[in-house]
Amino acid sequence: MKLRRLLSAWAVPALFLSSVASAAEPALLRWAADAEGGAPYVFRDPRNPSRMIGFEVDLMNEVAAKLGMKGQFVQNQWDSLIPGLKRGDYDIAANGIEITEDRKREVLFSDPYFVTYEQITVRRENQDIQSLDDARGKIAGTLKYSLAERMLRAHGGIEVRGYDSQTTIYEDLANGRVDFVLLDQPVAVYYGNPDPRLKSVGRPIGEMSYGIAVPMTNPALQQRINRALRELRNEGRLRELYDRWGIWNSRMSEEFQDYSPSKAPTELNSYLAAMGKKRDWRQQVLQYWSYIPLLARGAVTTLQLSAVGMLLAVSLGLMLAIVRIYLGGLPGFLAMAYTEVIRGTPLLIQLFFIFYGLPNIGIKLTPFMAAVLGLGLNYGAYEAEVYRAGLLSVPRSQMDAALSLGMSRWQALRHVVLPQATRVALPPMTNDFISLLKDSSLVSVITMVELTKVYGQLASTYYDYLGIGLLTAAMYFVIGLPFVRLSRALEKRFMRGRQPLV
Amino acid sequence: MSPASYIRVEGLHKNFGDIPVLRGIDLSVRKGEATFIIGRSGCGKSTLLRCLNGLESFDLGRIHVGSVDVQMSGGQPLSEKQVRGLRKQFGMVFQSFNLFPHLNVLENAIKALMVVKGMGRAEAEAVAVPILEKVGLKNQLFKYPSQISGGQQQRAAIARALAMSPSVMLYDEPTSALDPFLVDEVFQVMRQLADEGMTQIVVTHEHRFAREAADQVVFMEDGVVVEAGPAEQVFHSPADERTRLFLRKYS
Repeated sequence: MKLRRLLSAWAVPALFLSSVASAAEPALLRWAADAEGGAPYVFRDPRNPSRMIGFEVDLMNEVAAKLGMKGQFVQNQWDSLIPGLKRGDYDIAANGIEITEDRKREVLFSDPYFVTYEQITVRRENQDIQSLDDARGKIAGTLKYSLAERMLRAHGGIEVRGYDSQTTIYEDLANGRVDFVLLDQPVAVYYGNPDPRLKSVGRPIGEMSYGIAVPMTNPALQQRINRALRELRNEGRLRELYDRWGIWNSRMSEEFQDYSPSKAPTELNSYLAAMGKKRDWRQQVLQYWSYIPLLARGAVTTLQLSAVGMLLAVSLGLMLAIVRIYLGGLPGFLAMAYTEVIRGTPLLIQLFFIFYGLPNIGIKLTPFMAAVLGLGLNYGAYEAEVYRAGLLSVPRSQMDAALSLGMSRWQALRHVVLPQATRVALPPMTNDFISLLKDSSLVSVITMVELTKVYGQLASTYYDYLGIGLLTAAMYFVIGLPFVRLSRALEKRFMRGRQPLV
Repeated sequence: MSPASYIRVEGLHKNFGDIPVLRGIDLSVRKGEATFIIGRSGCGKSTLLRCLNGLESFDLGRIHVGSVDVQMSGGQPLSEKQVRGLRKQFGMVFQSFNLFPHLNVLENAIKALMVVKGMGRAEAEAVAVPILEKVGLKNQLFKYPSQISGGQQQRAAIARALAMSPSVMLYDEPTSALDPFLVDEVFQVMRQLADEGMTQIVVTHEHRFAREAADQVVFMEDGVVVEAGPAEQVFHSPADERTRLFLRKYS
């Protein structure tokens, strides 16, 4: 009882909030990016991690102001930025999205707001790598699925290691695990160059243009954004912005026909100062302490998702198990087919289908609803088997006894068989809940910012995967703990009148 | 068929798949009478009990009990209404007690009163507690089945069935899972019920008890009633050769 009240107390405000959020105010320009991508695009301010900063944050605020609107940041997984845009979860997306022919078939792009290239970075003592042609037989590190990775593979003769996060790539370069790194120039400026063990070398390789993605259905917005970008450029605001962030480059000079020297990179400097700051242990503890509220907010989302998802999973699983055992026939077959299909396909793809696929047939769920539904429907398949095992563990004679007392099959099930089945099902159910708690991190692909996503954002900002990772792990452990205790207590209650086997 | 019969079974047939288990059972039981059914394991006597209270459907024949009349002419399963009618008449006691392990003795006895008859807890307890006291479980009300002896468990199961106030009690080998020392306490309860005029049908291998307590003994073999009559007659001067053979082996 108490648990149910608690759950609804968590769930209701979340549902309410998400529905409020989807009814966007007209004055807001909702723009999406992935803050896990790191500096200098969109990232958590190392001085105040509850704040998002980055050159794209500044740019979006400038553009929004030109449009007479207020920019509002929406978090989404980088791979999902365009699907989310098509789905209508935000107005535009801007996060180092290169303008390519493939993507032009999906969305409209503004004129390029930034032009850049791929940069080679090597260890300071390295003399032999200046270009990709020098790099034959060497080991390259880069981001998975990036343009740089495609260029490296197309070039041939280079062993390519794909990474998930740029912070680790340069660390591996410094440690000698890879011979050189090929990544976008702004990334090299922020993650490679500051390391005294590394240097960037060679001529710019390739060229990419970042554009603001606008839905196909809104060419008017594309026009207004282009006008805003032109004005910002003509007023010198863009140049100022790129100088401040220290990412003005030779390609930009060509593009803007502006060869004047750069001004002081104040944002870059304050970023490096914040990152390079040596902290004594007391300051370090305070630093970690300052992450707690952010992680806690993520943990609340994780908990809401998992609790509501599990409630759905258990109800569904119970229903499926009952249908399969007591109804049989076609419904029983369908219940079995459901279990097999859902269990046999990846949760990630199911989430994508629910969130990005269903809108095609007119079903558009809020991210929270989609996440809960995805987790619930998926885990329901597992709970069905857990409950089936539980129900089958109750001897047929219990049903006979209940029926002989005049109970209907349903009454017998509810009052006699189920309580005994639940006792058996409880430990594996607790198992699944803990597992769901951690699987819920997958929902970051559908714009939900939960615990693991906050971890990714913080870790990529501070370059601290171990410390923040431990903190996050502790957080998962702590939020799972009450449920483990609850399950123990329930088990004990169900054990009343039973001799323990050992 | 005596007109005074309370239960009349006519031509009951039951197959499990292709295997005939009951092949035309005729049986008649008078009100207040104790009928003991004996026979080899697998002769169909337990199935007959399960048919009486609707735990098993039957293919052909008729069960008439009190005002309930269930007739089957092949194929279709018992209707919900027919089943309910039968179950109201019969209380059933199982060989392995089948108490609900997650409920204590009292809860075992009141559960169906609350669920089926819609009684409140107090009302249900007012019905069940005197019955539990009568079967000698006054001090075991709050014990769980696993905490009491087999004899006590079987008495609790009898009380649980009695609480629903059936007009007939069915016992399916009620003492065969019991330690020999505990058998008598269950028989004692059954004797007491007989004295109070309860109609009882007992499937058992305890011929000693059958001889002493039965008003009617029925000997079954291969799904038919071979012989039925007063205990004295069936045990001492069986009319049928098969009965004689069986008794020689098992007595």
